Amino acid sequence: MSAGQSPIVSIFDVTKDYSLGKVVVPALRGVDLKVFPGEFISIAGPSGSGKTTLLNLIGCVDTATAGVVSVAGQDTKKLTEKELTNLRLHTIGFIFQSFNLVSVLSVFQNVEFPLLLQRKLNKAERKDRVMQLLEQVGLAQHEKHRPNELSGGQRQRVAVARALVTRPQLVLADEPTANLDSVTGQHIIDLMKELNQKEGTTFIFSTHDAKVMNHANAVVRLADGKILDRVTSAEAQRAMAAGAEGH
Amino acid sequence: MFQLFLIAFRNLGTHRRRTLLLGGAIAGVTALLVILQGLSSGMQESMLRSATTLMTGHVNVGGFYKLAAGQSAPVVTSAPKVMELIHKEVPELDYAVQRGRGWAKVVSETGSVQAGIGGIDVSTETGFRKVLQIREGTLDGLNEPNTLLVFQQQAEKLGVKVGDTVTIVAPTMRGINNTVDVRVVAIAANVGMLSSFNVYVPSATLRSLYRLKDDTTGAIFLYLKDLKQVPAVQARLRQTLAAAGYELMDNDPRAFWMKFDTVNREAWTGQKLDITNWEDEISFVKWTVTALNILSGLLISILLVIICVGIMNTLWIAIRERTREIGTLRAIGMQRSRVVWMFLLEALTLGSLGTLVGAGLGLVVCTLVNAAQIAVPKVVAVFILSETLNLAVSPKVILGSMLFITACTTAISLIPSFLAARLKPVTAMHHIG
Ligand SMILES: Nc1ncnc2c1ncn2[C@@H]1O[C@H](COP(=O)(O)OP(=O)(O)OP(=O)(O)O)[C@@H](O)[C@H]1O
Ligand SMILES: [Mg+2]
Repeated sequence: MSAGQSPIVSIFDVTKDYSLGKVVVPALRGVDLKVFPGEFISIAGPSGSGKTTLLNLIGCVDTATAGVVSVAGQDTKKLTEKELTNLRLHTIGFIFQSFNLVSVLSVFQNVEFPLLLQRKLNKAERKDRVMQLLEQVGLAQHEKHRPNELSGGQRQRVAVARALVTRPQLVLADEPTANLDSVTGQHIIDLMKELNQKEGTTFIFSTHDAKVMNHANAVVRLADGKILDRVTSAEAQRAMAAGAEGH
Repeated sequence: MFQLFLIAFRNLGTHRRRTLLLGGAIAGVTALLVILQGLSSGMQESMLRSATTLMTGHVNVGGFYKLAAGQSAPVVTSAPKVMELIHKEVPELDYAVQRGRGWAKVVSETGSVQAGIGGIDVSTETGFRKVLQIREGTLDGLNEPNTLLVFQQQAEKLGVKVGDTVTIVAPTMRGINNTVDVRVVAIAANVGMLSSFNVYVPSATLRSLYRLKDDTTGAIFLYLKDLKQVPAVQARLRQTLAAAGYELMDNDPRAFWMKFDTVNREAWTGQKLDITNWEDEISFVKWTVTALNILSGLLISILLVIICVGIMNTLWIAIRERTREIGTLRAIGMQRSRVVWMFLLEALTLGSLGTLVGAGLGLVVCTLVNAAQIAVPKVVAVFILSETLNLAVSPKVILGSMLFITACTTAISLIPSFLAARLKPVTAMHHIG
């Protein structure tokens, strides 16, 4: 969190409205956030507070209604669709809340796909990289299976492997442990933490899980489309405990 | 790229029912297209073959000989010389025959028919053997003098069988009727309307009927290897015949029997040659061909529109179902253009496989129909100049149909895939299909 560094994600006064027919649903209302390279940040908040919406904006899969979203120093509003796609491919890894695997491809092929799109590695290198990640998420023996032959937790891990396989600078994870038992969840968090420490990968993940929040070096608390505060994980835990008492 | 193929291919496999439906539709249209085109060009082929063999060459050197104003005969004098010139000047020639022309009444004991009399040297008329089906007697019977070939329809009207004798009564330009007795040696199966206004006798018989010299004939019929060469040959013949000193009539695209009035009114006497082509002589065939073309073109267009709409619809559904997948692929960094490519490949694969099956199917149907010798209704036979259905199958048409349908389905699939690729990744991902 060195002050001299420029942020990898910089969000300024961002609002996001969804329109459902004539009704406008405000999902984010004036959000400011800066995330610096190497940070391991958790976004916490009740259901419907806008966590997924925020991650979608950072991940360049959606556009803000107003405000500025900059990723890797680039104002996403000013990028062409092609440049945005390249940003998603080369800079960002996204673990979606609902996995979103390609059903007709095997586990191996799903994880390999971003590498194919990148066209940087040859076949052998791709295989090494994919197998290494599948080992790490504990799915090496399932490489030939199709997503529909896996459990929810296993699919989640394939999604994790796919997001990490390109070694992106920035990994966005929408409730990455929600479908996992605590052991596997812990394992995935350890893996992310390891990447964070070894490679300096920036992680932004949303979660409900206090244990997961423990690992974050900062917790951004979101409520009703607004950022309440940005605190250390210990403070967040205390706040949550206080909130629980308050109820 | 390989991965794109893989996804495309797997998708086809995963959605087996839709793939089969769509592929089946594509195969069906291709087969129909092949069959319809085969039907249309088959009819044209047999029509042209029958009509040109029996009534006109591809190119004709005919003409008129005039004794005096008002007295003209449709003949070519010194035919062997002209024939010699033709053989020298027309390398495109398949074969050439001389054909006597007359118009007379054939009278039997119980009836009579009015008909054009063709004077033929049956040994040189190679086309006759392909076009005519002899139901009674033989074609070779016409090698003997004073013999006659009639069609079934005429034989019935005259009440004659092979071996019976009939009288041909021909008015001449001198105003008297010449007659000759001929023996029926062959009765041919009807060839549509042609069988009501043509009979054939040996050249010598026709000459004796009209008291013509041995080197005189009605016209010389040229059969070319390729119909496309007709205009070139026609033009060349005009030049060379004129250069060789023959008098030529002005080009007049009408049948010879429509020109008597014009010729009689003109002042010249002696021999003039007239060069025409098959379209001039049998314009009714041309009209039938045109009508047939328009009809089949219309039918095929309607069919294609219906099928295109169907295929488009199915592809739309397919792409809507897969919008989530498109969203995911776009979200992990797949460019729009590659998404479109993926669908293109899918459509291309489906299209080429479907059309391949369809072409095979069409081919089988055409072959079966041809082998079955299916009889057509009389009204149809009158126009297509054939009693059985004949479907032409040419590799060009089949390949053309395949390419066309594949191109159509691929082009159609572009629209929905473009639209799907245009969606914001998140919109596509959350799409409920
Ligand atoms: N596609 C959409 N159309 C309309 N409204 C939406 C859409 N997506 C989200 N919303 C609304 O925006 C608000 C924020 O939703 P979001 O999914 O970001 O919440 P979340 O914090 O991720 O919730 P959860 O913890 O349940 O995943 C909610 O009120 C939700 O109803
Ligand atoms: Mg969410």
